Amino acid sequence: MSERSDLAIIARLVPPGSRVLDLGCGDGALLALLRDQRSCSGYGVELDDTKVLACIKRGVNVLQRNLDEGLSLFDDASFDVVLQLDTLQNLRNTEAMLRETARVGRIGVVSFPNFAHWPNRLSVLRGRMPVTKVLPYQWYDTPNIRVGTFADFEVLAHKVGLRIDEAFGLHEGKVVRRWPNLLASTAVFRFERS
Amino acid sequence: MRHCIAVACAPNLSAQNIAFNEVARRAIITDPDFHGGDYYAHGVVPKRGLRVARMLGHITYLSDDVMDEKFGRGMRNGERVYSTQEVEFQIEGYLRHQGDKFSEYFDANTYLLITRALDYFDPAREHGGDLTRAFAAAIARFLVVSFTTDWRFSPLRSREIVKALVDNGLDVSYAEIEAPHGHDAFLLDDARYHGVLRAYFERIAHEVGASAGPAVPVHITAPTQAGALRST
Repeated sequence: MSERSDLAIIARLVPPGSRVLDLGCGDGALLALLRDQRSCSGYGVELDDTKVLACIKRGVNVLQRNLDEGLSLFDDASFDVVLQLDTLQNLRNTEAMLRETARVGRIGVVSFPNFAHWPNRLSVLRGRMPVTKVLPYQWYDTPNIRVGTFADFEVLAHKVGLRIDEAFGLHEGKVVRRWPNLLASTAVFRFERS
Repeated sequence: MRHCIAVACAPNLSAQNIAFNEVARRAIITDPDFHGGDYYAHGVVPKRGLRVARMLGHITYLSDDVMDEKFGRGMRNGERVYSTQEVEFQIEGYLRHQGDKFSEYFDANTYLLITRALDYFDPAREHGGDLTRAFAAAIARFLVVSFTTDWRFSPLRSREIVKALVDNGLDVSYAEIEAPHGHDAFLLDDARYHGVLRAYFERIAHEVGASAGPAVPVHITAPTQAGALRST
């Protein structure tokens, strides 16, 4: 999710002037973009030392926390938008995290690698776990402990009581609206509590 | 104030922290040379009390791991001498040395007052114990830093500060530095810690258009035992 065009596409999902919480904010590029181009404010949460430092260098508010420990720092409904980009697949308790996201924010935006993207299916069909640009790790050495598909998320969102108001795929910097579960390497959803 | 950097802090002292302070104070006050605080009039200094106070302090500034790594069970002379009064273990020599040094330069009454002031420090108190309300009037931007092995002013306490700032929507960044040295880490040269501080100061310099040396009022707070008692 560091590609410039991806960031711009995601940024368009965030209403101008929003109070934003970016979970797993990386080097803070998106928060800086939202601040500079959409007058947004807020915080990023990041665990990695190098990325925390990068955020501070950018002048982006960053809080060093392990997301697996929850969002107890944040009150109910204290943000307009909670972003979770390319993060969900690294967390142990995906479902609890989604509930927490819905608790602290009015709107949630998530993105994650779509395991059902056709090259991945092909790879598994050939009997091997996929190693691609979006899923660049070997199965035995990957931070992606929760791989899911575009279609899987729709099911989970329903279970958690989220109303999806925007869903599309991303592939090589372009929006994929046709058969995203097959044709997109990354899945993107925007949702609200239903 | 436009910026506040809070390193290895707490919003107030815990009962355990007050307890440590009280032991240190009792050591000083019960020293026969204390003379109710008028020791200079008697031409003496309650050095024994100051030494013990400092030894206790030093234990709390270090983590168990780092103390073990530095001293372990090492003996000063290699062999046991079966004395209860001599220095046998290296850690004892270290603590005595720190105590001796401290008792030479630190004024006992100042020690009592500083530790009491730390006990009293509690900005939430006049807001019914609500730290969020205590910060409501703040306008500064904050950098909060804690160290993972600091058990005297633990990351948990720093997170309370962060939460109160976030509740108020204030600008805050928080770094939880993985350092082995306990509370002492804030005095030491740790690349991650210094990296974060440098980056924050560079942002301030950038903000005020300075190329070298921030010309903006910056307040670094470390209202901690070591911070207050470690002017030299």
